[in-house]
Amino acid sequence: MLNALDKSLLRTVADLEEIPKGAYNIRKNGKLLGRQVSANIDIETNEEGTGIIVTIKPGTKNESVHIPVILSQAGLFDVVYNSFIIGDDADVVIVAGCGIHCGTSEPEGHAGIHEFKVGKRAKVTYVEKHYASGEGTGKRTLNPTTKVFLDEGAQAEMELTQIGGVDDTTRVNEAELEVGSLLLITERVMTDGEQSAVSTNNIVLKGAGSRANMISRSVMKGNSRQVLYAAIEARNKSFGHIECDAIIMDNGTNETMPALKAFHPDAELTHEASIGKIASDQLTKLMSLGLEYDQAVNRIIQGFLK
Amino acid sequence: MLELKDLYFTVERSEGGGTRNIIDGINFVFQDGKFYAITGPNGSGKTTLAKQIMGINPVSGGAIIFNGTDISAVSISERAKAGIAYSFQQPARFKGITFRDLLSIATGVEDEHKILEIVRRVGICPLSFLDKEVDAKLSGGEIKKIELAITLAVNPKLAIYDEPDTGIDLWTIGPMVNLLKKEMTLREMTTIVVSHNRSFLEAADVILIIDSGKIVYSGDLEGALPLLEDLSVCTYRNTCEGVHDAECFR
Repeated sequence: MLNALDKSLLRTVADLEEIPKGAYNIRKNGKLLGRQVSANIDIETNEEGTGIIVTIKPGTKNESVHIPVILSQAGLFDVVYNSFIIGDDADVVIVAGCGIHCGTSEPEGHAGIHEFKVGKRAKVTYVEKHYASGEGTGKRTLNPTTKVFLDEGAQAEMELTQIGGVDDTTRVNEAELEVGSLLLITERVMTDGEQSAVSTNNIVLKGAGSRANMISRSVMKGNSRQVLYAAIEARNKSFGHIECDAIIMDNGTNETMPALKAFHPDAELTHEASIGKIASDQLTKLMSLGLEYDQAVNRIIQGFLK
Repeated sequence: MLELKDLYFTVERSEGGGTRNIIDGINFVFQDGKFYAITGPNGSGKTTLAKQIMGINPVSGGAIIFNGTDISAVSISERAKAGIAYSFQQPARFKGITFRDLLSIATGVEDEHKILEIVRRVGICPLSFLDKEVDAKLSGGEIKKIELAITLAVNPKLAIYDEPDTGIDLWTIGPMVNLLKKEMTLREMTTIVVSHNRSFLEAADVILIIDSGKIVYSGDLEGALPLLEDLSVCTYRNTCEGVHDAECFR
């Protein structure tokens, strides 16, 4: 069912060697390639036929769902709307990702709109990787959107990564947090050549005691360009922190705009942001341990995007 | 054996044009397996000299000979591979790189047992440090311990420590000196410590006093003491108003 190319893409975006154990939904070139549900995790196609609804029963523990998308068909732009309904007190891992292989001069792309409703005290870890490869010159576009609604005491840890090869990306992350909920977002994006990435993040702290931490790590190689908007809005006694670091290599450019909005007297919001080249003391240190200059650069970037 | 031959480090003057020698014609031979302490006033050129030996500062004139080879123009990486290790006064802080990562890079060892063995041997860092990121969250003392452990872990032929006691609590300095001496004896390592701390000066076989880029003394502690007590090498000599001044820091 999976050819060598599919396997390679799956390995890169979902750390999968074969068809995964547990619940999964694999989409290839806009069509369903395989689906497996479990006793606690249901996956069904939505009414419009434009995506899937993943429903996780309350109290489900230590289970995972894999929902990778692979594209290797020239000229295709695949759009999906996926919903995740995570029951109260569940604790699950969701692994998503999109791999594009572009072998021709025709463009290929994928837009995924992922909406999460995380129930009371439930905990979800969401891992999303984006990657494009191939010798073709066609433009590869990936536009992921995530919308997260955290109910009372819910926790979401989101790891969003764009590893490389994507020419154009418009990323949107939105979140609303109820009482006592916690959101941790880490976004890592590396661009090269003439690539461009724009990431827009809006986190709203609605409930008392809600907390959000957004970490953004960007690396711009070649002539690539990245723009980051990161806003946290506090409407209650809550805590929010934004940490954005960008490393410029070659002639890359970066614009970083963190924004803090407090609409409650007990809101505590902080941010730190930095843009610059790799610090020379880091390079000197690694070279003094025996690495050559280029090896030291790679090691620092690898750690930064880890 | 490390030999410094008529060594210079020259910079452009920031005001008034011309040049200035930060290292001003140093000649010295460091013998294998000995403990050297380099001391002297702030700004005298101690760190500059140490960084020249590691290749971080270039050689403006003269030569650095390490075990018979002229390394004056050799890169930092090549000097590291030749067996020179350097502990920075202000160690670099990374994002996403742990103590374990640095140990692996330095030693080429990734095996869990061997890594644990190294950490136990160098003793100064608890095992709980292993997966700590070497980032801005570490305290000044913690990062200095990590720096020292990495230097010892590579079993260098020549270990250079720039002010290893900065940020280290008083109770750790004694054991730290003992550790350096033990490793030095065990591995016949040449040790150079840049320090003002008396514990390191007492432990050294040879003390070098540097002032204005020149070696003004080399020998034992007893011979160094009168010089160290002399106002001319006092760290605060530029602002000093005399020994009877209540502000005297000595």
